[in-house]
Order: sequence, then C-alpha cells, then structure tokens
Amino acid sequence: MNRNLKRKLAQYGKYFALSIWALIVAFPIYWIVATSFKPDRDWFAWPPVYWSEEPTLNNYAVVWADHKEEYEGGTQYSHSMQKPWKALRNSLFISVISTFFAVGFGTILAYGVSRYQILSEGRMFQLLMLRMVPPIVIVAPLSLYYSTLHLLDTITGLVIIYSITTLPYSVWMIKSFIDELPLEIEQAAMILGASRLRTLWEIVFPLVRSGIVATFLFILILTWSEYLLALILSKTEVATLPVELSKYEGSVEGRVYGRQAALAVGVTLPLIAIGIFIRKHLARGFSFGMVKR
Amino acid sequence: MTHIELKNIRKEFGGSVVAVKNLNLSIEHGEFLVLVGPSGCGKTTTLRMIAGFEDPTTGEILVENDVINELEPAERNLGMVFQTHALFPHKTVSENIAFGPRMKKVNKEIINDKVKEVAEMVKITHLLEKLPAQCSGGESQRVAVARTLITDPSAFLLDEPLSSLDAKLRREMRAEVDRLHKELNKTFIYVTHDQEEAMTLADRIVVMDEGEIKQVGSPIDIYNNPNSYFVADFFGSPSMNLINGEIVNSEAGKVFKSLILNVDLPKLFENSAPGPVTLGIRPEQIGISSSGDIKKKIYLVEPLGKDTLLYFETVEERELIAIVESNSSYRSGDTVALNLLPEHIFLFDSSGKRILN
Repeated sequence: MNRNLKRKLAQYGKYFALSIWALIVAFPIYWIVATSFKPDRDWFAWPPVYWSEEPTLNNYAVVWADHKEEYEGGTQYSHSMQKPWKALRNSLFISVISTFFAVGFGTILAYGVSRYQILSEGRMFQLLMLRMVPPIVIVAPLSLYYSTLHLLDTITGLVIIYSITTLPYSVWMIKSFIDELPLEIEQAAMILGASRLRTLWEIVFPLVRSGIVATFLFILILTWSEYLLALILSKTEVATLPVELSKYEGSVEGRVYGRQAALAVGVTLPLIAIGIFIRKHLARGFSFGMVKR
Repeated sequence: MTHIELKNIRKEFGGSVVAVKNLNLSIEHGEFLVLVGPSGCGKTTTLRMIAGFEDPTTGEILVENDVINELEPAERNLGMVFQTHALFPHKTVSENIAFGPRMKKVNKEIINDKVKEVAEMVKITHLLEKLPAQCSGGESQRVAVARTLITDPSAFLLDEPLSSLDAKLRREMRAEVDRLHKELNKTFIYVTHDQEEAMTLADRIVVMDEGEIKQVGSPIDIYNNPNSYFVADFFGSPSMNLINGEIVNSEAGKVFKSLILNVDLPKLFENSAPGPVTLGIRPEQIGISSSGDIKKKIYLVEPLGKDTLLYFETVEERELIAIVESNSSYRSGDTVALNLLPEHIFLFDSSGKRILN
C-alpha cells in the first residue's frame, strides 16, 4: 500500500469515527426536539417513534403559551409548577449577573496573577481544585448557612454561590489570554506616558476582549445549566429553568415527556447557539496557554 | 556633559540570581553608547533599569544629576524601542504614533502635524492608515522608532531593535539608526549581542559579561586593545585565534610553546613569568608565505568574496584561521608557512586577563 493511500485511509477512518461520535452526542438533542413535537400517545410508544406522523405544537402551546388544553389523561399540573417564563427570567437574571461578577473579578485576578504573580502556581491549582469539589459536598452545609443568612430561595443567594464556583474557570481562562499578550506592549504604552489604568483600558482589555467574551459565554452556559445548587438553595420563588424542568417528572402527574421536551428545547437551543459561536475561543481558552501560537 | 549616570547598580532576581553586579557608568549627552555581550550578561536588565521597568536592588540612576529611581517609566522622559517592536496591534500606524502625545493630552491638530512630520522622517507616510499586522518587519521597526521619536525623549533606549530582521534589512536599518542619531543629536543607549552592530554604530562600547563591565572604549580601541580573553574572543569576525600554551624561557628570550605552534615572543613580553597562557592573534595579522618556521596544512579554503579564509589543522577544538586576499591560489591540502606579526600578538593569563609588560 503506498503512503498516499495509507494517509487517505487514516483520514477517512478518523472522519468515520468522529461521525459516529457526533451521532452519539447529537442523538439526545434530536430526541428532545422530536419528542417536543409528539402528541401524547407517542411519548411512551413502543417501538419508539422517531418522528411522529402527526407532529403537533400542542406541547409548546401548553408550556410556553397560556394554552389551557390539558394532558389527555386529565391530569392537572402539580401546583408547584409554574409557567416557564418566570423561570426563564430567573435563569437569565441569575446567570447573567453571576457571570458578570465571576468574569469581572476573574479578569482582575487573572491580570494580577499573570503580571504580578499575586498567586503562586500552587494557589492557582488550589483555585482550580475548588471546581473539583462535588457540589453535593458543599450544598448541605451551604443550605444551613443560607437559611441563617436568609439567602435561601433568593436571587442574591444563587448569584453569590454561582459567582464563587465559576471564578476559578474565569481566572484560568482569562489568565491564559493575558499570558499570550507580550509584556512589552504594556511597557511600550507605559513609557509613552500611559498610566497603569490607562494601559489596562486602552491596550490590555481591547486585546484580550475576544478571550473575555468567550469566558463570559462559557460561564454563562455553566450557570444557565446548573441544577443541583439551584435545586437545594431555591424552592419556589426563584426556581431556575433546570429546576423547572425536573418538575415535569413528578409522582402525581407521571411523566409528561412532551411538555418537558418542549421546555427543554427552549433551555438548550440558546446554549447550542452560543457553543457554536464560541467554539474556537473555547479551544484556545482551555489550552490554558499551553499551546503557543 | 554627563547625561545619564549609573552608580553602584546591582540587580538581583529572587535573591539568588544576580543579573548585574556593581555597575558604574556615565553616559554623555548625545553619545551613542552600545551595551554588548552574550545573552544573560545583564545588558538588557541594565537598559530596563534605566527605562524604569526594573528597580535596581541597590544603587542609583541619575539623569542630569537627579536621582530617578523612584520615577515611573513615563516620568523619565526616555524613549524605548523594543526588540519585538511592541506595536499596538489593534491601532493603526498613525494611532500608534499618536499614542504618546495623546497620553500627554496634546492638542489634536498638533498631534496630526507631528505624526506626519515623524512619519516623513522615518519614511512611513504611506503606511499611516495600515495596521501593524500589514507592515513588514522593517516597516514595523520604523513605526516603533516613529512612535518614540514623536515624544521627543531626552534619550533613546534601544533593546536589540534589529535582531528580528534579516541580514540585509538589518544593515539597512543600522545605517538608518546611525543617520537618526546624527540628525537628532540625542543620547542613544543601544543593547545588542551582535559585535558587528556594536562596532559600526557605537561612539563607545560597553562590553558586559556575567553582570559586569569587562571593558569600555571606542570600537577601534576595543578591537585593537582587548583587555581580556573574553573581549578578544567576542569582537571580530572571524574571531581572534586563541591558542592555549605556555611561556618558557630560552636563550633567545621568551618563547610561546603549544601543541599547535611555537613562536618567539617579542621584546614586550621579556619580563613575563613562565607559565600557562593563551596566545591571541587576529586572522588578518597572520602572514602566509612559502617558507618559515611554522608549517601548517590547510584543510579548508572558504572564499568570502572580498577575502578568503584559510582554516588550518589543529589538534585542539578551536580552529586556526588566517585571512588572505581572494585572488590568492591556496587550496586545501597545501602546506604553507605562517608568520605571526609579533606586534599583534596578545597574551592572556590563566584568569583571562591580558598580559601587558
């Protein structure tokens, strides 16, 4: 076999394997979308219905619009369930605000670490380890604190914990972008008469802007889809979308897959859009500066 | 008149690495001073301390007799051109040049005029609306110079500004730097590891090694009178022939003996104590003839165009090289006689210091 052929086969093999993997990854998303258009009887059908012969918008109408048509079996929504708009508002509010905090503080910290070594390498790893603590470990004591501090079931409470838990990502990613910026560029600005603040504002930030945007969107995805902390630390008032999703699978109403899927599509689609939008930046951010351009 | 003065400057990094040891230097107004030495010799650190990017661990930096240790880089009225040019990639060439005066809140129209003026001076008027990424290496360097020029600094600090350019461009820009210095009549402090750059540009050369000044002098002085093995070895291309051997007494006077060659030493060295030394002689100070005491076999002939280099076989690692005119007809394998011009022989003792007596 000649070299050219070998290389081509290897290439095809790679694409074949990746295609299979892409199918595996994409299937749940397809299933959610398909289910969201299924009428009630297709939800549990066996053999499974991959695409309903009578697609319906009913699920969307019931979940997202104020449509009164109920589930065929007559089961009512559990009273703890709310229309998703409130949850959407909560989710949006909480994730955007906490991402702002995480990225804001993260940028300042990252700059300090990159330029002034304010944290040793060991400390930086400790910071990253914070992310490796399973949330379930901290959530029980945290809910006690929160109850004392009256932070349970409040937007502030969730914003605080989200800002803290996503800060390590923020610092690590933004640091890798700042590290790539040659120190000499800053020094050139300073010797030309720019103050440190001015240098940050006019030179550093514009040059790492794409990195900061990528980090922002990445953390937005994390907080947007966080479930466990939100489940324990919120009850009814500030339930976020992931928490709201779980309520479609209760003991009283059974499994209302179609409705759940209709909601899930709304939750997932923005994430997929953002993910596609920032995928190049993400790869760079996650190399943590180890790959030199 | 003294412009910039360094007094007992010492710089340590992390308490254990000493980059600069007790450096004393005064730089005159309008002087073109070149700091030269191998990488890690402390030359860039010295320049960065003058610029204000590093604080000396001990010692004082004075400009016009005022201590400026505590001043921020921006307050020192110095201009710096970086090795990497350090242009702001998100700003156009004209915005890059205008940055300095803009930070000093100069009137916009005055800035525009000045930008045009300096752009003309370094011949980049056609680049003003471009981004740095669209400029070639040489063009970027001109922009970096213009950006410094516009702030009218009292001295220019240049950190290996030409090292990222290719050989031809480097020669062109070298002439350009020289021209600028003559036109502006400002103090230039120039760091390089390239001895040729140092020789061609400097009024005065400061040779540094391991954080210390090894020798200060004019280019010709440094070339003709190196005070140590290090300086002798560093300057010149091809570098000086350096042969390890020893001085021994003989009836005729002092003789240098080595595995490669033996040579009678000139009268100058008649008081030198016998013992191990290194003999140095520049390739152009070795005469080649058909008869003589020192016979050597040529193993490589390297024509350079104007001259030709002859490499001789030695038992040591270091080559023995002579320069002859290119119209000579030596070929590898030929055996010729070497005639070391006695007045051009240097001797260095085992610590590397030049023997002068």
